Amino acid sequence: MASKKRRRSLLDLIDEYMRTIEEEIEERFEALHNLFFERPSWNARTRTIEPLCNVLVTPDEVVVTADLPYAKEDTVKVKLLGDDVLEISAEMKRKICLEDFGITHHEGEFSEFHCRVNIPVPVSAEAKRVSFKNGILEVRLPRKRGYEIKIE
Amino acid sequence: MLYGLPDVGLVGVIAASHMVSEFNLEEVAFVDTDMLPPMIVLHKGTPHTPIRIFGNNELLLAVSEIAIPADSIHRIIRSLVKWGKEKEARIMIPLGGIPAPNRQEITEPKVFAVASSPQLVEWLEGKAEWKGRRVDEPFNILQEGYMVGPYALVLQYCMQENIPAVAFLSQAFYNYPDPQAAAMALKALSKLMGIQIDVSQLLEKGEEIRLKARDIMKRTTKELAKMRKTQEYDIPLYV
Repeated sequence: MASKKRRRSLLDLIDEYMRTIEEEIEERFEALHNLFFERPSWNARTRTIEPLCNVLVTPDEVVVTADLPYAKEDTVKVKLLGDDVLEISAEMKRKICLEDFGITHHEGEFSEFHCRVNIPVPVSAEAKRVSFKNGILEVRLPRKRGYEIKIE
Repeated sequence: MLYGLPDVGLVGVIAASHMVSEFNLEEVAFVDTDMLPPMIVLHKGTPHTPIRIFGNNELLLAVSEIAIPADSIHRIIRSLVKWGKEKEARIMIPLGGIPAPNRQEITEPKVFAVASSPQLVEWLEGKAEWKGRRVDEPFNILQEGYMVGPYALVLQYCMQENIPAVAFLSQAFYNYPDPQAAAMALKALSKLMGIQIDVSQLLEKGEEIRLKARDIMKRTTKELAKMRKTQEYDIPLYV
């Protein structure tokens, strides 16, 4: 009984140790990621705001959405760059200044949404379906079909 | 005591800031903790802590202006609930969202209620009185499933401390700020408490709110992923 107990606690210790390492790696990775990729969600030089967007991969398609409040519907553009990057842009109904949000220590006036989204799996872009409703853009891209493997 | 904490669609935070301006609530307390990033929020040139409690003689409202880090959420929520208990809050009402994968097709989000005891569930279903009061119209009850995030903890601690709690969760976008869902949650609150809450301003300012809320929404989504929020779509095994 005693030895069994001791063995389990050793395993527990290893388990705990591994978990600590895992957490440490995760934390460092996040810090590194933040260092390189965290940036303001706006760009005063290009006068653009980066919208919130999302990519959902289902067995049949990839659904990309973007939240575009104040976007002019007829200016919403969706472009595929290469095979795996989707570029979304739209003009805004009115100019937005950082001052509108009470921010006076940065200057910036924005007139457009712009973002690029990575598509994680191969898609057939020519068959895409695009809709824009209540200021939310939805792009549905069917996934590329492979060939069937016959079961013998 | 109401809660407006960052969760899917920022429903609670949007609803809470609307309550603060609509009822002219004043800051009555703030959370002082080492568990948040070293950060203050400036409003009208003066510093504030990111998690604060607003109130008047009738109600208290806890609201957070930052995504609460997943690894400090237990202790922060536990303190908020305990604080509310000390102040003798009669009922705790977290306002939030429930992620609806087909939210884009929903024209009027439904609101679901979750209660901390069987008596409260019966009350909300219109089957029984609670403290001499009856609801006019029954609420949709979230019967089975998982809840993940700050409100799961509010309900757990309220249940443990024997404090009545009713959470209103409105169908919302998972990772886009959802002012319409916030308006629906407030409507449910006004129905339950018999108070008038005008949500017209909130709906009018919808686009502005969505634009302003982008950054906190993005950070909230990251924290929710750490809490394994998508488990809310799972089907529980209990036979």
